[in-house]
Amino acid sequence: MSVVISLLLLGLALLGTPLFIVIAASALLGFYSSDIDLSVVLIEFYRLAEMPILLAIPLFTLAGYLLSESKAPQRLVNLSNALLGWMPGGLAVVSLAICAIFTAFTGASGVTIIALGALLYPALTQAGYGQRFSLGLVTTSGSLGLLFAPSLPLILYGVIVQQLGVGSSLTVDDLFLAGALPGLLMVLALSAWSMWTNRGLSREQSDISIAAALRAAIWELPLPFIVLGGIYSGYFAVSEAAAVTALYVLVVEVLIHREIKLGDLSRIIRESMVLVGGILIILGVSLASTNYLIDAEVPVRLFDIMHAYIQDPLFFLLLLNVFLLLLGMMLDIFSALVIMVPLLLPVALGYGIDPLHLGIIFLANMQLGYLTPPVGMNLFIASYRFKVPVMQIYRSTLPFFFILLLTVLVITYWPGLSLYLPGLFATW
Amino acid sequence: MRIKDYLEHINNALRRFEDGLIVLMVLSMVLLAAGQIVLRNVFGGGLVWVDPFLRVMVLWLGLLGAMVATRHNNHITVDVLSRFLSAKIKYFIRIITGLFASVICAILAWHGARFMLAEYTAATEVFTGVPTWCCVLIIPVGFVVMSVRFFVHTFKPGAVQT
Repeated sequence: MSVVISLLLLGLALLGTPLFIVIAASALLGFYSSDIDLSVVLIEFYRLAEMPILLAIPLFTLAGYLLSESKAPQRLVNLSNALLGWMPGGLAVVSLAICAIFTAFTGASGVTIIALGALLYPALTQAGYGQRFSLGLVTTSGSLGLLFAPSLPLILYGVIVQQLGVGSSLTVDDLFLAGALPGLLMVLALSAWSMWTNRGLSREQSDISIAAALRAAIWELPLPFIVLGGIYSGYFAVSEAAAVTALYVLVVEVLIHREIKLGDLSRIIRESMVLVGGILIILGVSLASTNYLIDAEVPVRLFDIMHAYIQDPLFFLLLLNVFLLLLGMMLDIFSALVIMVPLLLPVALGYGIDPLHLGIIFLANMQLGYLTPPVGMNLFIASYRFKVPVMQIYRSTLPFFFILLLTVLVITYWPGLSLYLPGLFATW
Repeated sequence: MRIKDYLEHINNALRRFEDGLIVLMVLSMVLLAAGQIVLRNVFGGGLVWVDPFLRVMVLWLGLLGAMVATRHNNHITVDVLSRFLSAKIKYFIRIITGLFASVICAILAWHGARFMLAEYTAATEVFTGVPTWCCVLIIPVGFVVMSVRFFVHTFKPGAVQT
C-alpha cells in the first residue's frame, strides 16, 4: 500500500506538481497512517519562525537580486578585466571569478546565467574566444560559486543538519570555511584549462584604466570584506552579515548609484521574495516530513540495508557521487537538500564521513548535476537565454563538465581539502 | 458577468495587498535587523521584541512569497517529463496536478486553522502583547489563497497571472 502511494507521489512530482505539495502530501499521509493529529504538519511548519539563521535567506537573496539588476556586474567585469585582462585567457578567468562571486551571493544558479551571461558571452566572443568555448564557459560558470560564502545552499545545508540534531557542533560558519578551498579548486582548474586552450589568442587590451575601473566600483568593493571579513572574524553572526549586506546594497544601488528606480524596487523585492517563498515553503513542509521519517526510523533502516551490501566507505562515496549527480540533473539544489540530507546524513555518518565534508560533496555534485546532459537545468537555461539549440550547449560544455567531474572526485576522496580550514580556525 | 467582475476586483485588491505587504516587510526587516546590530554594538543591547519579530517576518515572507509564486505558477518543480510530452497530454496533466495541489493546500489550510485556534484558546504569546495566533494567522490564510489559485489556474491558466 505505502509503496503504491510513494510511487504515485513520485509520479505526480515528475509530472510537474510543485515539490512542496508532494512533500506536504507525504508528510500528511505519513502522520495520518500513524494516527497523529495532522495539525502537527503545520506546527512543524511554524518552526520557520523559530530559527534565527533563516533571516539570512531573504536578506542575502534581496542583496543578490538588487546587485544583478544594477550595473554592478558591468563595473565588476570592467575592474577585473583591467586587472587581469593582460593574462592569456584573462577575460575567461575574469568571467569564471565573477560568476563564482555572483553565484555565491545569489545562490540560485539560473540567475547568474541570465544576469551575467548577457554581459560576458558577447564580451568573450568579441575578444576572439571561440563561440563554442564561450558558450561552454558561460553555461558552466552559472553554478560555479555554490561552495563560497554566503551561498544559500551552504546556509540551508547547515540549517537542515542543525535541525536533525546529529553532528550537532556543525555551524554555518564552519561550512563557509569548508567550502572555500574546494570552491577555489574548481575555479582554478577551470581557469587553468581556459588559459591553456586560449594560449594562442592575442592578448586583449582593456580600454579602461585600472584607476578608472577602481573608482567606478569603489562602492561595491567593500562588500566581500563586509560579508567575509565580518563572518570569518566572528564580528558578525551570519544573519547579521546578511542584514548589513542588504542595507548596504540597498543604499548603494538605490540612493548612491541610483541605478534602481524606486518604482523598480518594489518589483525586485517581490521577485526576490518569490524565490525565498519557493525555498522556505519547501523547507517548512520538509520539517514535517523529516520529523515523520525520523519517527519511523527510516534513515536507520536505510543504513542497515546499505551496510549489509556495502562496507567500504570509499565505495559508498562512489555510489554517493553517481546518485547525487543523477539527483542534481533532476532536482534543483534547494529541494535536493531538504529531501535528501535528512536521509543521507545518518547513513554517511554511519560510514564515518564528516558532516562538513558531506555537505561539500553534496553541493559539489549538485553543481555538476546542473551541467550533466541530457537534462541538467543550466543547459536548458543557457539554451533559452542564448537562443542556441540545446545539443550545441551539450557539446560546448562537455570539456568543462569533465574538468569539474575531476575536481568533484578530488573533493570527494580528499576530505582534508574541505576539513583543513575549519580545523585550523577551531584550534585558533 | 457581475460576479466575475466582482471576483476580479477581489483578486486585484488581494494582489496589491500582498505586493504592498511584501515590500513593507522586506524594508522593515532590513532596517530592523541592521538597527539591532547598531543598538547591540553601540548601546550594549538590542530591543527585546525585534528578534522574535524578525523571525516571525521570515515565516510571513516565506508564505507571501509562495502565494505570489502560485500566481505565476512559479513554484519549484522537477519538470523532467513535460519537455517530452504533447500538448494534449500536458493539458490533462495540468488538471490532475493542479487539482491535487489545490486539495493538499486546502488540507494544510484547515489544519493550520485548527493549530491557530488552539493557540488562540491557549492564549500563548510570542512576545509580550503579541499573541501567537496572530503570527500563525498567515499559515491558514496563505494556504487558502494558494488552494484557490491552484484551482483557478487548473481551469483557466493565466487567469491569476500578472
